[in-house]
Amino acid sequence: MLNKLLRQVARGGVHSTAALARELEVSEGLLVQMTGDLARMGYLKPVGDNCEEKCAACPLAGGCSIGGAGGVWALTAKGMRMTSDQ
Amino acid sequence: MSIDSSSDKTITVALTGQPNVGKSTVFNVLTGLNQHVGNWPGKTIAQKVGTYSHNGVTVSIVDLPGTYSLSANSPEELIAREYIIREKPDVVAVILNAAALERNLYLLAELLALPSPVVVGLNMVDVADHEGIKVEPKVLAAALGVPVVPMVASKNQGLDDLVAAIAGLSSGELPYTPKVPRIRPEHREVLAELCALCEEHVPQPYPAEWVAIKLLEGDSEITKMMEAHLPDKVWQKVHDILLAHEDAVIDVAGGRYEWVGRMTRAALVRPGVGQVTFTDRLDRAATHPWWGMLLLAGVLGLIFGLTYTIGAPLQELLDTYVIGGLSDLAGVLLSSAPEWLLGLVVDGILGGAGMVITFLPILVIFFAAMGLLEDMGYMARAAYVMDRFMHLMGLHGKSFMPLFLGFGCNVPAVVGARIIESRRARLLTILLAPLVPCTARMVVVAFLTPIFFGAAAPLVSWGLILMSLLVLAVSGVILNKVLFKGERAAFIMELPLYHLPNGHTIGLLVWQRTLEFLKKAGTIILIISVMVWALSVLPYGDVESSLLAGLGRLLAPVGGLMGLDWRMMVALLTSFVAKENTIASLGILFGGQGAQLADSLSGVLTPAAGLAFLVVQMLFIPCVGTVAAIKQETEGWKWTWFSLIFLLLLSFAAGIGVYQLARLAGL
Repeated sequence: MLNKLLRQVARGGVHSTAALARELEVSEGLLVQMTGDLARMGYLKPVGDNCEEKCAACPLAGGCSIGGAGGVWALTAKGMRMTSDQ
Repeated sequence: MSIDSSSDKTITVALTGQPNVGKSTVFNVLTGLNQHVGNWPGKTIAQKVGTYSHNGVTVSIVDLPGTYSLSANSPEELIAREYIIREKPDVVAVILNAAALERNLYLLAELLALPSPVVVGLNMVDVADHEGIKVEPKVLAAALGVPVVPMVASKNQGLDDLVAAIAGLSSGELPYTPKVPRIRPEHREVLAELCALCEEHVPQPYPAEWVAIKLLEGDSEITKMMEAHLPDKVWQKVHDILLAHEDAVIDVAGGRYEWVGRMTRAALVRPGVGQVTFTDRLDRAATHPWWGMLLLAGVLGLIFGLTYTIGAPLQELLDTYVIGGLSDLAGVLLSSAPEWLLGLVVDGILGGAGMVITFLPILVIFFAAMGLLEDMGYMARAAYVMDRFMHLMGLHGKSFMPLFLGFGCNVPAVVGARIIESRRARLLTILLAPLVPCTARMVVVAFLTPIFFGAAAPLVSWGLILMSLLVLAVSGVILNKVLFKGERAAFIMELPLYHLPNGHTIGLLVWQRTLEFLKKAGTIILIISVMVWALSVLPYGDVESSLLAGLGRLLAPVGGLMGLDWRMMVALLTSFVAKENTIASLGILFGGQGAQLADSLSGVLTPAAGLAFLVVQMLFIPCVGTVAAIKQETEGWKWTWFSLIFLLLLSFAAGIGVYQLARLAGL
């Protein structure tokens, strides 16, 4: 299941949690848990998680919370390696 | 529950579950006042122990900390699993939230791998029912192979059944045949090999297979423990296996998720299947590949409409009454001061930084519209649908936000690229931001197009905007392929629910962004305005013989290829301070303002040269504020110079091409 999720993400582009959950036939809640697990394992990383600190003076700092805090996840180098190996 | 202190038999129950599943309610109802609160040994985490009696049996119940899993990610998780492994309770009662069953099952998947029998308290069935979630307890029990008791702990419903199930399980009266999750086939042999290597050395009471699984998962506590217990040679072998199968963690956790999927498919009617929420309905259009783009185009059109309809007249008022008034006042106050001082204040400071500040109403409206869209949850959708377009350039939807802001001003567009995590995508966004036609460029276009094209001016203006965006897209594709080798970008984005916007939040956002813009206008832009003004009057006090004019004449040969004389080139150069300076410079160099300037220009330039000038103006190097922002954001001069040279070559090449084509077309 986690493999499949990583492969879907590795196709590139932006995936919504709702669309991914439908493709994997799980609830959005479980998908969020899975992305959290993959992040803990080092395959995904949250985008803009420390944005406030980095962007104290940025007029678009609010944009970091796009989709909610920690709502955007990107493949890490480890994640890319993993999916390209398959 | 009743207390029977005379009972001989005592059983121990570990009560576990994820946070907020009603575990404490279950504990309090079962134990009443018979509970003791202390701390777990060596920890500051509360330990609650209580007792109750059932059919002459004293049940000691230990309330374990709420945990999402049994990995060693937190002290709570460590306490929970260490207790179950070391103390071996007679029964583990896990409380699951029926309304969030899928997420709760992961913990159960880990509990079933431990030796103590598990009973499931399926709590909050009323909440699940209310939300349209249907769980079949008997089917779930059959699928899991463990007893499942539906209950509503807050209403004291089903607790007697839970107590009976605990008793039945501890006495062996209830069958217990748990269907334990299995590791995916790819790593089963590796697991068996690890088991064989560790079995003899695993300290009691840890189960060998569980230890092997945790090793594959990279569990830091278990890894440390086994490193200490295994002979060096065996540890080296184990270590090599773990190193070669670093990805096994995906298969271990993936096996649990697949197990969760099987259980839910068996016993759960998925919530929301067949139900369409308000957000779903809106998202059918907002995130649709085509309708979503059309909606976005409409939203953008509305924002531009509002910005220019309301903001442009306000900008004119500010320019006329505030900047104009201040210029008049400066003229009066400095009437006896040296001429250079009056020039510095009126032309340098007010004409440069002051002119930029007059665009504040336009930016405020723009910021407010952006804030509104962000706050109500639309911007995440805008980024999502723009991804298809952005992806052509190797960017992702998040780049859309800063680029979109570039329509107001390129400075926040460049600074806004900070929201992009990937350095490659951030750099590409920064390099492309100056190609977004900002309001200042649009002011120049709005002023000059009617002079050269009369009634066709609106069409030419839209054509110029489309050309800019087309050049942006093509440049993006080329830069991505040549400089960045088309790295992949992939994102998962949670699209928030739509909700009513909050005025306070939007107000705060507008205030912060406006303040930031004013700070920049008052520092960098002000300093550079003064510097360029100085170049335009030094060394003899007039523009014609200034250093700036000298530079303009140097560029005259290039201008000649576009039908532009040195004055037009100087006007272009002065746009480096602020784009609007083009109009002011043309006024000085050609003499006069407004209609008088229009007559002079139409008399000197052919429509072909006018069009070439507009094209160059749209693609030319950005204002100094944007350049300063590029240097700051790229942390050096390398990419700043690249951006300047790239835009200079691009704009002149486009201008020459357009001029030559226009002449061929007879313009």
